[in-house]
Amino acid sequence: MPDLALEPQSPLAGYDREFDGVTLNEVSGLALVSVAVPMGGRDRLASEIESVFGVTLPDVGSSSYSEKGKARVLGMQRDQVFIAFEYHGDDAATRIRDKLRDSGYCNDQSDSWAMLRIAGAGCRRALERICMLDLDPGSFAIGSVSRTTMEHLGVIILRDGLNSFLLLSPRSSARSFLHMVETSVINTT
Amino acid sequence: MSNARRIAGGLIDRDQRLSFSFNGEAMSGYAGDTLASALIANDRRLVARSFKYHRPRGIFTAGSEEPNALVQLRRGSRQEPNTRATVTELFEGLEATSQNHLGSLEHDLLAVNDLLAPFLSAGFYYKTFMWPAAFWEKFYEPIIRASAGLGRLSGEADPDHYDKGFLHCDVLIIGAGPAGLSAAVAAAEAGARVILADEDFLPGGRANAETCEVDGRPAAQWAAESAARLAALSNVRLMTRTSVYGAFDHGIYGALERKTDHLEESDGRPRQVLWRIYAKRAILCAGATERPIAFSNNDRPGIMLAGAVRAYANRWATVPGSRIAVFTNNDDGWRSATDLAALGVEISAVVDTRDITPPASVAGAAIAMGSRVTDTGGRKGLKFIRLADGRRIPADCLAVSGGWNPNVHLTCHQRGRPAWRDDIAAFVPGDELPPGMIVAGAANGTLTLGATLSDGWRAGNAALASLGISPRDIPRPVADDEPAAISAFWHVRDGRARAWLDLQNDVTVKDIRLAHQEGYRAVEHLKRYTTLGMATDQGKTANVGALAIMAECTGKSIPETGTTIFRPPYTPVPIAAFAGRSRGRDFRPTRLTPSHKWAEEQGAVFVEAGQWLRAQWFPRHGETHWRESVDREVNQTRSSVGICDVTTLGKIDIQGRDAADFINKIYCNNFASLAIGKVRYGLMLREDGIAMDDGTTARLAENHFVMTTTTANAVSVFRHMEFCRQCLWPDMDVHLISATEQWAQFAVAGPNSRALLQEIVDPDCDISNEGFPYMACGEITVCGGTSARLFRISFSGELAYEIAVPARYGDALVRALMSAGERFGVTAYGTEALGVMRIEKGHAAGNEINGQTTARNLGLGRMVSKQKDCIGNVLSERSQLDREDGLALMGFRPVDRAESLTAGAHFIAARRNPATENDEGWMSSVAYSPVLGHSIGLGFIARGRDREGEVVRAVDPVRNNDVDVEIISPHFIDPEGKRLRA
Repeated sequence: MPDLALEPQSPLAGYDREFDGVTLNEVSGLALVSVAVPMGGRDRLASEIESVFGVTLPDVGSSSYSEKGKARVLGMQRDQVFIAFEYHGDDAATRIRDKLRDSGYCNDQSDSWAMLRIAGAGCRRALERICMLDLDPGSFAIGSVSRTTMEHLGVIILRDGLNSFLLLSPRSSARSFLHMVETSVINTT
Repeated sequence: MSNARRIAGGLIDRDQRLSFSFNGEAMSGYAGDTLASALIANDRRLVARSFKYHRPRGIFTAGSEEPNALVQLRRGSRQEPNTRATVTELFEGLEATSQNHLGSLEHDLLAVNDLLAPFLSAGFYYKTFMWPAAFWEKFYEPIIRASAGLGRLSGEADPDHYDKGFLHCDVLIIGAGPAGLSAAVAAAEAGARVILADEDFLPGGRANAETCEVDGRPAAQWAAESAARLAALSNVRLMTRTSVYGAFDHGIYGALERKTDHLEESDGRPRQVLWRIYAKRAILCAGATERPIAFSNNDRPGIMLAGAVRAYANRWATVPGSRIAVFTNNDDGWRSATDLAALGVEISAVVDTRDITPPASVAGAAIAMGSRVTDTGGRKGLKFIRLADGRRIPADCLAVSGGWNPNVHLTCHQRGRPAWRDDIAAFVPGDELPPGMIVAGAANGTLTLGATLSDGWRAGNAALASLGISPRDIPRPVADDEPAAISAFWHVRDGRARAWLDLQNDVTVKDIRLAHQEGYRAVEHLKRYTTLGMATDQGKTANVGALAIMAECTGKSIPETGTTIFRPPYTPVPIAAFAGRSRGRDFRPTRLTPSHKWAEEQGAVFVEAGQWLRAQWFPRHGETHWRESVDREVNQTRSSVGICDVTTLGKIDIQGRDAADFINKIYCNNFASLAIGKVRYGLMLREDGIAMDDGTTARLAENHFVMTTTTANAVSVFRHMEFCRQCLWPDMDVHLISATEQWAQFAVAGPNSRALLQEIVDPDCDISNEGFPYMACGEITVCGGTSARLFRISFSGELAYEIAVPARYGDALVRALMSAGERFGVTAYGTEALGVMRIEKGHAAGNEINGQTTARNLGLGRMVSKQKDCIGNVLSERSQLDREDGLALMGFRPVDRAESLTAGAHFIAARRNPATENDEGWMSSVAYSPVLGHSIGLGFIARGRDREGEVVRAVDPVRNNDVDVEIISPHFIDPEGKRLRA
């Protein structure tokens, strides 16, 4: 067999740009695993998550960062959380499933999303051009997460810092996603 | 001209002189001027021609209600018609031209219309141009169309950028006049998140136009200090140049912010931003609009609203005449006289319809109480007025005040009706306001400054209270209340000439009477018949006066006569702002497949499939026609191996203890028995029994499945299944998540597909026919350890697989497959070849599963298992859907093999007329089969399975095609399926 080792590519080719008061860069190397809560299995999954990550199962719309597990657990919907952690391998779901001892239904979402971090004092001004959510610090606290749409694209938005947001949008439309966010930054800086 | 009519004072910046031109004439103004104030300062009285009669017109107001002074701004591709000079902020280099005239503004040839006025009364176009009928399309209509409209579009693409956005607040305050500022201070100082929006570039509203005092200092100074105080608060967003144009459901308001309209260049930044504002509470402080009084020849340049004349003098330090008369029915009109007199302007007369003691003394002015202006003179500019007693009084400007109408528009955007108040002779907000809205100040009918400030403060605190925010104990702004008594007076009857009500649409008192006479008495009919209240100003200065005339005609009161419905937008919003950035290539998002870059490198021709861009075919050097490329791709795939990116198919990951049962209910065929490591074709029905979508589902583990859907239905199927999961069977332990984006998936098809795959699949994975038979699936590794999934399924009818890797490896995998396949002569194939091969094989696709057809129509009737329940099972048994003689999917080939078939052709029995009653079905898909060497088709025809070998006509009147076709099996190649299992 010829040497055909496959080289991975990130959706946004490592985009990284600094604007006046805003930085915008692709986040790569972040594994993302969805964990569905089995019917009747919430307590067990919560217990395993607490045991592995040291955090409680987050409510929908909030997330918890686990220093212990170096991971963030995001409450996505009534019976689903996402776990994000730094990992470059392509077996992230298996790892989480094993860690949680099969207490949830895991699915690897790492390659499903293009990920952008927008940060800086001007990030909200840029986001208000595309995001219909109220991102005021008093309304969208650090750790808040939400599914929404921006310019006809599905987006998951996570506030991961004082002036920092992680945006996830489907990988196939990564080019449109970047254009959308970049245009907003350019229009407001 | 150089500011001949400029006086001292005002809120302009005399250190910033700005050059501009009007109709090519160089002029100058100052920062802080509007185009209107600068034109007045430059003694320009005639600025426009009226819509219908082309009467000379001048500036009438000082705000967004302006009916007359519409100009074209800028030039070339940036030319913008119908811009109101009264709200156009002056900038260096501004170029404005007048519009709606033939010839020069001064000598408009279409002014002949004025002479034809007796024939051009209200609704004339409903009564004339009837004869001869042949003239309508070729003669009348072109002329009418050419003369309709006001300004002209450039016809070029708009080079400016536009954007939109979303804002949130506790309290949205609409209008930064005295009431708005007062409300904003109350709300903001208590900590509420406040947005204060005003259409003007200078906050303050009428405070900037008056000489009153607030808190012991000039009102304009108080306004500036209040605005600065608010701007300094982090919880306040002060948005000037922003018009809130609509009140929508759920506390949502639309607003247009003019970002760079006041600049010569936008410098690549959005010129305007359309905001959607989510407000928990809104305080409408939109002020009031002064209205005129109708009298003969009341439309001459120089006849203006009294409050506007005062505003030009006080705020913009310019006076529109050297000898000004005032005509009023209220105390406010007198303020214009006294303010102007205090500035040294000659007041020739004050005419008051009320027979009372004059409310003020005006030095040098003839005072006429209980009198009226009955006529005016001066063709292109006012020269004199004539009073009811016959006196002729010289005046080059007449300031008219018929009272003030509260700007209730936004209170009515959700079908609220305003209420009438006799004491101010005006409509005020009714009881039914948009939820969360409070009205304050002049918009609420509170027309004096002291009361307005109090009302704003009250509204601010009311908003706080309803939000559970404690007000802050700080002093509220205080001012005296100025006299504001009024006695309603709408129309001077003792004049013979036309008296205008709606200056923008040339609607006169006579027109209203005519509408009444002809039965158009309901307000909405009145509007449509006369065009009253249409166009850019929406009749802000005209409507109530016209209602009064109609009320007079009908003998009813004004409130009984009613008002038209106020609808958004309050002021015009450019279409470009609604479009925002959604234009050109970025009109909608584009989805790219993992192999897109590679396909581009191969010179692929792409096709839009929903939002996806898919490779349609891959032309090679020397190929001059798309068919050449597609034929080659099909032949090469069928003879050796081909590769196609099928990532676009929807992929739904299904897990849970009840996953198998769930899928069994979704699909019409049996899935409960699907073994782990196997794939099965599935067909799902809608509730009504019609086929919904098809695909394959693989069982990866006992409780873990992956379903594929068609590209087009990926979202709708997921949504359908979520509905089933959450609403129909909430007790099932089933969990769905889309995996469409996670996996890059490629079809590898053709007799050498296994051999090719063996080049990249890691050696410990057995993909031999025995180890990995037809309809097998499994998780494998490729290229030295990369995780992958392999499915032995075929859409082409060949020995085929679909291989999936995490999307990050998609680009690398297609390159690896093509590299490994070189020795087999591998070809990439696009959607065209994919389509040709599936038609050759007789597989249904979107053309066949089109929302009209059943499993039985598709030849899949036996798949609808009667051993279990599934969505659509019962209703699929409806007699009309289950007819023995119903439509059946069949294959078709031309009797004359050289002829081409067309999709959409209808089948007509031989020797029958191609008419609807003889229609027996339709051709759904066609292709040229390079394998068979002729055109082939799939289609639905009545009793198809009993008619194999029969020749019918395929008639396509749209494309003028009529071909005799033979009905045959839909499986043109390998009907036994031997290749699949090879």
